[in-house]
Amino acid sequence: MLALLVIVSLAWLAFVKPEQDRSRSLADSKTEVIVATPQDQPGDSGDQGFMDGLKRFWDFTGFRNATPGHLIMIIIGLVFIFLAIRYEYEPLLLVPIGTGILIGNIPMFTDGGMNLQVGIYQQGSVLNYLYFGVLKGVYPPLIFLGIGAMTDFSSLISNPRLLLLGAAAQVGIFITFIGALLLGFNMPEAGAIGIIGGADGPTAIFISSRLANGINLLADGTTVKNLIGPIAIAAYSYMALVPVIQPPIMRLLTSKKERLIRMKPPRAVTKTEKILFPIFGLLLTCFISPGALPLLGMLFFGNILKESGVTKRLAETARTSLIDIVTIMIGLTVGASTQADLFLTRESILIFGLGAGAFAIATTMGILFAKCMNLFLPEGSKINPLIGNSGVSAVPDSARVSEAEGLKADKTNHLLMHAMGPNVAGVIGSAIAAGILLSYLG
Amino acid sequence: MMNQQLLTALAAVQLDPISWTIVAVGIGIVFMSLLLVYLFFRYILTFILNFKLRSFARRKGIDPSEADTARTMMSGEVNAAIAMAIYSYFNELHDVESGVITIKRVSKNYSPWSSKLYNMKNL
Repeated sequence: MLALLVIVSLAWLAFVKPEQDRSRSLADSKTEVIVATPQDQPGDSGDQGFMDGLKRFWDFTGFRNATPGHLIMIIIGLVFIFLAIRYEYEPLLLVPIGTGILIGNIPMFTDGGMNLQVGIYQQGSVLNYLYFGVLKGVYPPLIFLGIGAMTDFSSLISNPRLLLLGAAAQVGIFITFIGALLLGFNMPEAGAIGIIGGADGPTAIFISSRLANGINLLADGTTVKNLIGPIAIAAYSYMALVPVIQPPIMRLLTSKKERLIRMKPPRAVTKTEKILFPIFGLLLTCFISPGALPLLGMLFFGNILKESGVTKRLAETARTSLIDIVTIMIGLTVGASTQADLFLTRESILIFGLGAGAFAIATTMGILFAKCMNLFLPEGSKINPLIGNSGVSAVPDSARVSEAEGLKADKTNHLLMHAMGPNVAGVIGSAIAAGILLSYLG
Repeated sequence: MMNQQLLTALAAVQLDPISWTIVAVGIGIVFMSLLLVYLFFRYILTFILNFKLRSFARRKGIDPSEADTARTMMSGEVNAAIAMAIYSYFNELHDVESGVITIKRVSKNYSPWSSKLYNMKNL
């Protein structure tokens, strides 16, 4: 009741009173020529103005402009927030994205293309300025800088053959690319969808902002669709669901004997090796795939800050404050970009289907490649195929899945350190694959 | 079902050849890049570091093969165990206590801080 009273008061102040003042001032200026008619009595005009004001207020409310699509999206946003809080599925991502979905799906008055400078797609709004970082691919490299500053490549340096598992899992990207083409997407859109298979949120946003941004023109003059929202949401959703998607595939593809394989403990890595890894990693990978430079350049730069030992403050900032700020921005704006009219489409459903397939293929390829490597490795140096799933670059969730599955088979067999190798190799691999797609389709 | 598979197969045939090129080149380059990094760190960097280690050992008069062995045997777990042992030796010397509890009387009968006489004198 109190709320209703407040709303009516606000409506009066916002719409009715200014309208009355305006009509009064108009009446004053025309007193000489206008003769008041009986129906223009002050009491009547006040009631009419009040009703008009209330109607106008109602027209501007979210209740008046809500569509079933908005409600569906709001429910999706609430589910994201629930999953993040209740089950702690990637809370750092799902809470900002879920809240962003709520913000992006507040219905607003847009008849006649009216720009209230509120929504994310309305020029001049705060959200629109923040969304610029997504559209122009500013945020993903900054996230990679933070990831580089917090990643320890020791397990990869001590056992560099695990790099190949990271490469094998990227096959999922290219198979999904073909799948998207078969489902009728054009090439740039298919490339952007395929990158979901890399299981890397920032890379998916980076590529979709370049290839499927709703701006680029194709050779036939048509514009590519804006798929940033659906691709980012699919990528992050499946990353959060890694503990659900991967274990059945892992158990299906490995025997009990293979799951019990014990790997040699990783050797200690010298400081020189740790410093040389990002330097030579950057040079070798970016010379082959320069398109990956924005991502890999920042990743290895962040790691040099960490390992050099002389830029501790910079490394600390990159891995804490900077990445936190950018995560907030990217999560919120990507969530807000999923407006119902753009998101609830046939394409989004197809993208979600393709994304699930991409994750499954990437996991499968990683495990099969680990088994394949075991055929050539001597006894004692064999790889536990349970770390093959970590080739997808969902850091560190897929490595945690390897650890959990390893412990289920043998309570004393810890695979986490070994799994971190292909996991970070997956980050490098997906960035290289993104660079290749950009160089062909960008 | 068969029709669906046929349609899919037909669509696959009709795909632009460039798409297959992207797939082949893409997979190839990802593997090649990471293979190159692997080869570099597995062989070239190891060779350089071993060379440095051997020359250091030679300068110090240590048998180079011994230095090699020490390097290859070095594992994170061994290092952690050694570090833990050293830490325990220097910092946790009281693991085994006598079990006898002693109470040392610390109160004093006189202190200038509570001396009325001393304070009165200064006044």
